Amino acid sequence: MTADAFLFWFLAIVTLGSGLSVILLSNPIYSALSLAMTMVGISALFVTLNAYFIAGVQLIVYAGAVMVLFVMVIMLFDLKSDTVAFAKGKFTGALKVASVGLLAGLVVAAIDLSKGLIGVKDGENHLVALGDMEATKSLGRILFQKYVFGFEALGVLLLVIAVGAVSLARSKGGTHEH
Amino acid sequence: MNTDFINQIGLNHYLILAALLFTMGMAGVLLRRNVIVLLMSIELMLNSVNLTFVAFSKYLGLLDGHIIVFFVMTIAAAEAAVGLALAVTIFKRFREVNIRFFEHLKG
Repeated sequence: MTADAFLFWFLAIVTLGSGLSVILLSNPIYSALSLAMTMVGISALFVTLNAYFIAGVQLIVYAGAVMVLFVMVIMLFDLKSDTVAFAKGKFTGALKVASVGLLAGLVVAAIDLSKGLIGVKDGENHLVALGDMEATKSLGRILFQKYVFGFEALGVLLLVIAVGAVSLARSKGGTHEH
Repeated sequence: MNTDFINQIGLNHYLILAALLFTMGMAGVLLRRNVIVLLMSIELMLNSVNLTFVAFSKYLGLLDGHIIVFFVMTIAAAEAAVGLALAVTIFKRFREVNIRFFEHLKG
């Protein structure tokens, strides 16, 4: 087994395992920690895909900022293990699991059948010709030229979100004023 | 046992991994009742989509996928902020963050 293959399988197992424990553990703080582990695994997968800048942003934004937000809110609530962590109802639960399994099977089968339709040869690597600095440089160029409108719109959206989140959180009496 | 599937890592491997992560997130949203865990599952789904974008970006040789990943990350952070603010308001009133209290939200 080559080093590349070993790295991929190791990261895949880590990511899938911690992803499963996000939804299976009944204590929310363990879920949050597993989610942080998943984020780190996905960031490492980005590195294997030569997306170094995205991997750094993933670590800073997700494993840093978003996870701190989650953990802080969980600690604010002082949530112990959920008494009713999962939805009640055996039949509907089985139905949900079945539909999730069906979706997984459909997607995996579709990916497997579409092999060769996308026009990519397995193992071929285009971006590796660019050095890491070159890739980041052209990333910035695309972001500020081709997608500059989306970038600006995103800035406005972030301002709206910041104001909205603060006003939501400090409204007296929550959503049910009385 | 075909060792080619294990040794030759290609686009399909990443796509299938992302699909499995997505369905995990979907299962979390469907099965869990805690709003915070629900938000985490949504983050899981968004991350799997990011992985798909980056994998396609590498194997098609286009950098546009990376830009979309930036946008998705920003939207995900914004969504987490608003969702957690809503969870805080729900918790203030009901002392619990079960999803069933979201049935009777009022402005």
